[in-house]
Amino acid sequence: MTSNKREKSLIVIQLSGGNDYLNTVVPYSDGKYYDSRSVVNIPQDKVIKIDDRLGFNPSMGPVKSLWNEGKVAVINGIGYENPNRSHFRSMDIWHTAEPDTIGKEGWLGRAIRDIDPQGDNVLTGINFGRGLPRALAVPGVSVASVGDLETYGLFPDVQDEELRMFTLEAFSRMYGNTAGRDPVMELLGRTGQDALQGADILRTAPAMYSSSVEYGPDSLAQNVKAISQVFHANLGARVLYTQHGPFDTHSGELASHAKLWDEVAGSIGCLMDDLKEHGTEDDATILVFSEFGRRIKDNGSGSDHGSGGVAFMIGGAVSGGMYGEYPSLAEAEQIEGDLRSNNDFRSVYTEILEDWLDLDAPSIVNGQFEKHGILKS
Amino acid sequence: MSTQTKSPGIALDYVKTIGIVNNGFNGRGFANPYDIVVDGDKRIFILNRCDPARADAIRVGICTLDDEYLGEFGKGNGTGDGQFIWAVAMALDSQNRLHITDEHSNRVTSYSLSGDYLSHWGKAGSGDGELNGPAGIAFDSSDNVFVVDQHNSRVQKFTVDGKFIANWGSFGSGDGQFNLPWGAAVDNYDNVYVADWRNDRIQKFDNDGEFLAALGSSGDGEGQFMRPTSVAVDPEGFIYVADWGNERVQVLGPDGSFQLILKGEATTSKWGEEYLASNPEEKAERDISNLIPALPAHLNTPYHISSQTEPYFWGPVSVSLDHEGRLYVVETNRHRFQVYQKR
Amino acid sequence: MISNDTAMTAHLLRRAGFGASREELEQYMAMGYDGAVEALLNPSDAGNMPDDLIRRYHVEQSELRDLAGSAAYWMYRMISTSAPMEEKTALFWHGLFATGYAKLNQARSLLNQVEMFRRSGLGSFEDLLVELSKDPAMIVWLDNNENHGTAINENYGRELLELFSMGIGNYTEDDIKECARAFTGWTLGNAEYMSIRAAKDSIWPYGRIAWHFDYREEDHDDGEKTFLGETGRFNGEDIIRIIVKQESTARFVATRLFQFFAADEISEAGEKTIQDMMATYFSSGYQVRDMLRTLFQSDYFKSEEARFARVKGPVEMVVGAIRMAGNYQNPALGIEKVSNTMLYMGQGLLQPPTVEGWHEGSEWIDSGALVERVNFAAKELSDVRSPGVRSIIDRLQAGSDDGVLDPEDLADGCLDLLGPIGVSDETRSVLVEYATRKGDLDLNGHQPGDEAEQRVGNMLRLVAATREYQLA
Repeated sequence: MTSNKREKSLIVIQLSGGNDYLNTVVPYSDGKYYDSRSVVNIPQDKVIKIDDRLGFNPSMGPVKSLWNEGKVAVINGIGYENPNRSHFRSMDIWHTAEPDTIGKEGWLGRAIRDIDPQGDNVLTGINFGRGLPRALAVPGVSVASVGDLETYGLFPDVQDEELRMFTLEAFSRMYGNTAGRDPVMELLGRTGQDALQGADILRTAPAMYSSSVEYGPDSLAQNVKAISQVFHANLGARVLYTQHGPFDTHSGELASHAKLWDEVAGSIGCLMDDLKEHGTEDDATILVFSEFGRRIKDNGSGSDHGSGGVAFMIGGAVSGGMYGEYPSLAEAEQIEGDLRSNNDFRSVYTEILEDWLDLDAPSIVNGQFEKHGILKS
Repeated sequence: MSTQTKSPGIALDYVKTIGIVNNGFNGRGFANPYDIVVDGDKRIFILNRCDPARADAIRVGICTLDDEYLGEFGKGNGTGDGQFIWAVAMALDSQNRLHITDEHSNRVTSYSLSGDYLSHWGKAGSGDGELNGPAGIAFDSSDNVFVVDQHNSRVQKFTVDGKFIANWGSFGSGDGQFNLPWGAAVDNYDNVYVADWRNDRIQKFDNDGEFLAALGSSGDGEGQFMRPTSVAVDPEGFIYVADWGNERVQVLGPDGSFQLILKGEATTSKWGEEYLASNPEEKAERDISNLIPALPAHLNTPYHISSQTEPYFWGPVSVSLDHEGRLYVVETNRHRFQVYQKR
Repeated sequence: MISNDTAMTAHLLRRAGFGASREELEQYMAMGYDGAVEALLNPSDAGNMPDDLIRRYHVEQSELRDLAGSAAYWMYRMISTSAPMEEKTALFWHGLFATGYAKLNQARSLLNQVEMFRRSGLGSFEDLLVELSKDPAMIVWLDNNENHGTAINENYGRELLELFSMGIGNYTEDDIKECARAFTGWTLGNAEYMSIRAAKDSIWPYGRIAWHFDYREEDHDDGEKTFLGETGRFNGEDIIRIIVKQESTARFVATRLFQFFAADEISEAGEKTIQDMMATYFSSGYQVRDMLRTLFQSDYFKSEEARFARVKGPVEMVVGAIRMAGNYQNPALGIEKVSNTMLYMGQGLLQPPTVEGWHEGSEWIDSGALVERVNFAAKELSDVRSPGVRSIIDRLQAGSDDGVLDPEDLADGCLDLLGPIGVSDETRSVLVEYATRKGDLDLNGHQPGDEAEQRVGNMLRLVAATREYQLA
């Protein structure tokens, strides 16, 4: 904990609901885009141009700035074979790295278990938001779900500080003696102690944090700020996860999608500024993904579930650039009106697990996958 | 199909269906619509109650009979100015201002038809002029407004700015008593009609609240209601009732006699067609499906039947009329309204 | 003084219900144990919150377009029922025949399945399996709509044998195929349209269209089949008739009922009870009600060993606390947040993660879930404005010496009225010490929300936070 070279952390921002790839990385010079997206499109003059073919959604200014610094990897056409267009199922597939059967363990839950097999540090993996995503879930692996960092812990509704302290103290004593009891009581005891300990430690994070960066008021920004606070508190958190949405833009897409990306890009920009300020830009990598992209043809007001999406990896250790292939909009290339993915998401997982978290990837992602070479060696 | 018996004095022809479910965001479509008002320029204003998961999208949508979505307005979910929690019903005053009741916040909020918030009035309580669950709302020819005060079991009369004038009613099933009343309407003679929801009837009063008649009884037969939520009266005095619990609309004559029942016969709306055009596989299956299937015995209540039969009314919460003999039936569970034309 | 009667009835109500307030307990105690068992096993007059009221205020529970409102609807039923076995039985079968929203995107049909569990869940297991096979939510869940006479899909046929009755090792792969053949043609109306809508989570144009069973005779393979050694032109009902005759089926049903209604772990004494239940299974003609009677009347169930032998599932935890506090008696904003809370604790109603259901018992406990559980119960039971808590305050006062409670009275009283909950000496001493901080509690002339009442709320909070409170 006191060494200068800190261990690498992964920060995940999940875009829930199916982020519209075509309006995120826009193929503005392709006539077929405007043909298919007669209503729900980004005009050529509004796109933030990356090159003469592709541009970012106008709300992604901060991402473009980072792109210019070479810190953004865009993974085009990411997905898996036999795309599934159901939110739950497709997100499950991303969470468990199991496209063909029903996976039971989250890929990051497994990673956390491999990082800390004895469960010595209850804060190795933390979810920012309530309700643990399947990605982090593995039986026996402790992962805190922090809805609000300032109030996280037991008895948050007890306003009176003194009363809360006495209640926590009583809780600690009640859950204290675990030895020699029946297994269930023992488990409860240990778990309660873990929870208390985790909460105690996490609560110190905001106080230790100081930064000139001002995060936005939206829920993602607040979660990302909490991620930064915990990350910079050096508590040994290696996986920090949060999500934003809803990206399920079946109607009124242009306005909603713009607002959402405003928030996502804003949060990422703030976080990267924060990392820079603390000198930790090379110690964290951000993964941004969604469970699928959306259909090529719009429905007059929005777009419906599709396949083949885009993911991002952002950070000081990232070799910025375009990875994968931008899927063709030609009809012959489509899968039932959707974009065809050309690289498996488990390749990205493999690279993160092996080259960033220093773990054995195949046992976590159930197979061998070729890496893109996104992380600088 | 309109069911006609005993040569009713009225005939209603189905015209079209307008709507599509909107997942809560902005843009064309509805999110649990609860009421409709048509203005003098034939613009249709739709109040979207919205489910809690998307409560920030609470708004009034505007469209035309030609399926043009003109826009929407609202300030979202909450208790701030112009915001709503449980919006119920709307009415237009003579100055073209829209007044909307909120049964959770116990107040009436007004907007201009161009979507500007104007004001709100109303305070929780049971004293004169205080509200507990305001639901139906209707204006008379003097711009006085009647608000159905559901949990206080009464109807209250106010000026257009919310100054208390009078009230009547108490809890019960006798004449002039109410049980969780919901919708209200005013006819050409300034008589007041109330959908007396849990008494399964419509009650009629004069402009001062004197009881005139009680129409209907509990049941699913002709002239019977199951939890009627809304009532509208046309210039000839025909009474249209949203018979919500029976998933149907009933029309009574000016004398209260049974005229006809509508079950709903929705067709795919224009916005629905647009969606299906971009989803051809789904459209192909839909086209060969039987949208009015035979159902097993245990799914025999109107609610269950409508949940399985897309063209039928499901959650017909409100009936409204325009000045050209059209009836609008708003279905909250189907995110649409069906339009009928009086012959 | 905690009488054994009270403790025993409370134990029964924790299993056959969601626990009980002292008022409810007294009603059941007045019936005597046998009377209470019979009343519970013959649920009637549930007195649920009426559907018209629910649908008037909660559009989302009328339409059931999404999951949140749907789970909340079931919560209202569980909270308001005065026939708790109706809901507990439905919850049991829901966990066993785990059918999940994720693949169906059809909440109305899922709730219809739950309604079927209420209707048929205590009757004949044979009838229940037939109804289950005709349930459209189950059909889509296990792809039986893809099971055709010309090309079988084995999913339902397999799980019916593996997870819903005999269990692995009691049939062959061939039996699975024959079973699948027998269920060909058992599909839902407009199957192809419904199935594409489910796969795409389509709510267009007009929201969801609910499902109903449809038998497609032309798709049914009515050829001769050999299943578990019997031969005939079997249809689904015939297969089920053969399945329910098997001892392995009896053991399966008895074991699962035991684990849900008696104890997470099966001891030697428990094993004997399971065997008794299996005997009842056969002698009663596969009646679940009779098997449960055997269980509730068994020496094992009435013994100390069975007390607090289960970890409460999140649904039991949440519903139990709400019922005890007497909240949500009428439709109210916020109920959907409560159903989300159960999801955060690891048990999302109507969304079991897979057909294997939830992993129950001690697997409910992890640090995230424990924090949610403790926080929820603590908050619910410490609110002195809730009718149930006010009732506890009144009873404490009535049962005290001139309205004054010493620290032990306060701790013991709260433990009693919230259960009675049996706790270890160590736990109890922490509770007493906590109460001792402020000395004796004088409840005379207490006013709503005053310090005296808050002290009761604080003690209830701490009891709700004990390890023992996590157990049923």
